[in-house]
Amino acid sequence: MIKTDVIIIGGGSTGCGIARDLALRNIPHCLVEKGDFAAGATGACHGLLHSGGRYAVNDSEAAAECISENMILRKIGVKCVEQTGGLFVRLPGDSKRFRDMFLKGCEETGIPTEVLSPSRALDLVPNLNQSLEEAIKVPDCSIDPFRLCMLNITSSQKRGGKIMTHNRVIDIIRERGRCVGVKVQDKSTSEVTEIRGRIIINAAGAWGNKIASMAGSGVPMTLSKGSLIITNHRLTNMVINRLRPSSDGDIIVPNEAVCLAGTTSITVNDPDESEVDPAEVDVIATQAQEMLPDFGSTRLIRTYAGVRPLLKANGGDDRKISRGFRIIDHENGMFSIMGGKLTTYRLMAEKISDKVVEAFGLKTKCRTAEIPLEGQEELSGYPLSKRLKTLENIVCECELVTADDVEKVATEIGTRHIGDIQHRTRLGMGPCQGGFCTYRALGIMQETGKMAPEESMRVLREFLQRRFKGIKPALWGDQLREEQLVESIYLGILGMEQEQ
Amino acid sequence: MSGTYDVVITGGGMSGMMAAIALADMGRRVAVVSKGDPVCCLSTGCIDVLAAGNNPLGGIGSLPDNHPYHLAGEDLVRISLEMFKAVMSEEGMAYAGDMHANRRILTPLGRHKITCLVPGTMKFANFHPDEYIHVISFNKMKDFYPNYITSNYKNAGCSIFDAGVSTTMSIAQRFENRRFLEGFISWLKGLDIPEGRIAIPAVIGMHSAADVCNEISVELGRKVFEIPTLPPSIPGLRLFGGLKNALLKRGVDLYWGKEIYSVEKSGNQIEAVTLAGDGRPTRVQGNAFILATGSFVSGGLHASMDTVRETVFNLPVYLPGRRESWFNNDFFAPGHAIENAGICVDKSFRPVDARVENLFVCGSILAFSEVMKYGCGHGMAIATGVAAANACGEPV
Repeated sequence: MIKTDVIIIGGGSTGCGIARDLALRNIPHCLVEKGDFAAGATGACHGLLHSGGRYAVNDSEAAAECISENMILRKIGVKCVEQTGGLFVRLPGDSKRFRDMFLKGCEETGIPTEVLSPSRALDLVPNLNQSLEEAIKVPDCSIDPFRLCMLNITSSQKRGGKIMTHNRVIDIIRERGRCVGVKVQDKSTSEVTEIRGRIIINAAGAWGNKIASMAGSGVPMTLSKGSLIITNHRLTNMVINRLRPSSDGDIIVPNEAVCLAGTTSITVNDPDESEVDPAEVDVIATQAQEMLPDFGSTRLIRTYAGVRPLLKANGGDDRKISRGFRIIDHENGMFSIMGGKLTTYRLMAEKISDKVVEAFGLKTKCRTAEIPLEGQEELSGYPLSKRLKTLENIVCECELVTADDVEKVATEIGTRHIGDIQHRTRLGMGPCQGGFCTYRALGIMQETGKMAPEESMRVLREFLQRRFKGIKPALWGDQLREEQLVESIYLGILGMEQEQ
Repeated sequence: MSGTYDVVITGGGMSGMMAAIALADMGRRVAVVSKGDPVCCLSTGCIDVLAAGNNPLGGIGSLPDNHPYHLAGEDLVRISLEMFKAVMSEEGMAYAGDMHANRRILTPLGRHKITCLVPGTMKFANFHPDEYIHVISFNKMKDFYPNYITSNYKNAGCSIFDAGVSTTMSIAQRFENRRFLEGFISWLKGLDIPEGRIAIPAVIGMHSAADVCNEISVELGRKVFEIPTLPPSIPGLRLFGGLKNALLKRGVDLYWGKEIYSVEKSGNQIEAVTLAGDGRPTRVQGNAFILATGSFVSGGLHASMDTVRETVFNLPVYLPGRRESWFNNDFFAPGHAIENAGICVDKSFRPVDARVENLFVCGSILAFSEVMKYGCGHGMAIATGVAAANACGEPV
């Protein structure tokens, strides 16, 4: 049994942010997460650090939160934020009235803007649609959500925070009507651990209602699926938004060597429902092509979807639901934190940590906005020069990951999950989407004794199924060529048909 | 370079090369145009005839009526495979196998691949699961992890040889060196492998692999066989090398590394193709043309968001429905509908609804071939290649 003060359920940006906030206030805590960090909406979003421009017209509260958090995060998280800047592009036919409302909304919420003529916009992003009417520059950034979570967790672990990934909450322990702990089960070993704490924070995002219901409560939420496409190269160095009311396919975000284009918004009932429909891909690809014509001839390497945990609205369009957040005190020892966005994760963590401090009768102040994220100094980034040093040992040619990198991560975190390796090294994130290197990484994990061969075969099968699920909705052009090659490798050369 | 030929074959893969050999043997003047080395270089080098089922040749009759194998017919499939075997034997790369019984070879995952004809170096890959297998691996070879194999057998061992290099290509080239080979054999002898067979990833030489394999067998007094690896696959390269050599011997002109950028037509006849490359265009004229550019991987077909086009002659393409229906959900269930996409032909391998008379189509670009589903890749390419050559050889 583990005893702590605060139990945090959920290892997305909110949960990880809370762990850091509590750590900086010296409050003992334990974070439990059923998968790896950023496994839900955090890791399946478009990696945009909002300027707030997207919400300037309809959701001024969220817009104001976004711009103030944007300014904080670019200071405290230099190694996970890329200050790309963003454009809101107005194309022929897009409403001029909306443009005026946009500028007014930005002014009112404190979002700096600069109106650019077509030629000035094309100076910044030469492959924009040449017939654009104008563009408005805003301080959008691109952010690495996984790295953000890891850095928050670093602060927590340095101060004794207990972090348990791949542990699913199977029960909330209640005594005399109060929540006093949780039972979690390890995904690999099935081992059950009991954790006792004084306060439980439900930061499970889209799974929040499932957790709350284990404690006999509920949280009012709407689940909205958003799908995205990954391109095989970086088409733009700035974030490109469409200057019109929120709609499908209105954003393209550069991220490392690729771009992410999205999104859609479809109400779903189940947080695990993350299938991408080919029709969504068509819409996103067509819309993205309107902003960046090159998108039409670009190879799309994968699709994915995340489920947004939005505050409940009474019917209507999911897009009109506020992106603001809310804290619910269930008055039984559990708090739920709902809604919000990746951009405002720190603010959300601050507000709920304030509640914890208040409940404990303490007076410690939040320090997360002033202190830079710790552990960034150790991050090398991914400089090509460094990676090319060990060329002969490279197992992932797309992202230049070496056998030593794989061994190092496997040894350090002692993981049995290929996803953990992929997240921490970027193995399999490139154009082949792990088609070649996963087989190798699993081979290395066998050799180092981290994984039994039978288990690695099971993991390989699961990986290939998941990979195909992501690739299938956008499968044409050169990606189809590569996919048929990968199919012929696994089914033909390696003999991996259905179970023999 | 430019020229005039009886037959111009576009595509230098299995079907195109076999068509060229057949036509050259008929005494025709033949050219093969290829934009690059073919997809067979990525293959195991084995000839899958019909892996679904036990009897490859006998099973052809039960395939759906529209399957391209029926265009060739069982007799011609057999004859063309015999022809292939004879050609490879001439090149010192004799193939083993029985057209009436599939066989199994070992894969790098320790599973089995079902196939029909195998290179001599894989002749002994079909072993009893109780028999002792000693797997040889090479230091730092990134596409081969013997644990995948040894864990599947209760009776298996493994040793690692340091070749000084780690890629499949560079190791294979080392095996062409006499002293390297002798060093390897004496190392193997030192292992004192007590019994059973020796399995080695398919890197034991380039063109002389069959001899190398034989020599190791004789020296060790053990059965030795190769395990085909991931691309670039050495047995695939050997297969290509063998066929290419056979073309050159027969006086076939090769226009390699050049892409076709225009086609000249006159009425219902294709007259010439023009190739890009070498700084100026090359015009290749022919009385008849064979389209053997393959399917998606090799670039004979190209899919866009909602349609598929044939990339050289812009022939009408059969398309199995809208994109949502192209793929199964299960990666491991072979037989995605998209495998049916391709060119429909009549009994003489002429494209249907295309208004060209001197164009013949063969290989995996043919509609309804479903190569992955039936496991018939190279076999179908060989058979339709020879059959299309026969069809177009007649009227010339």
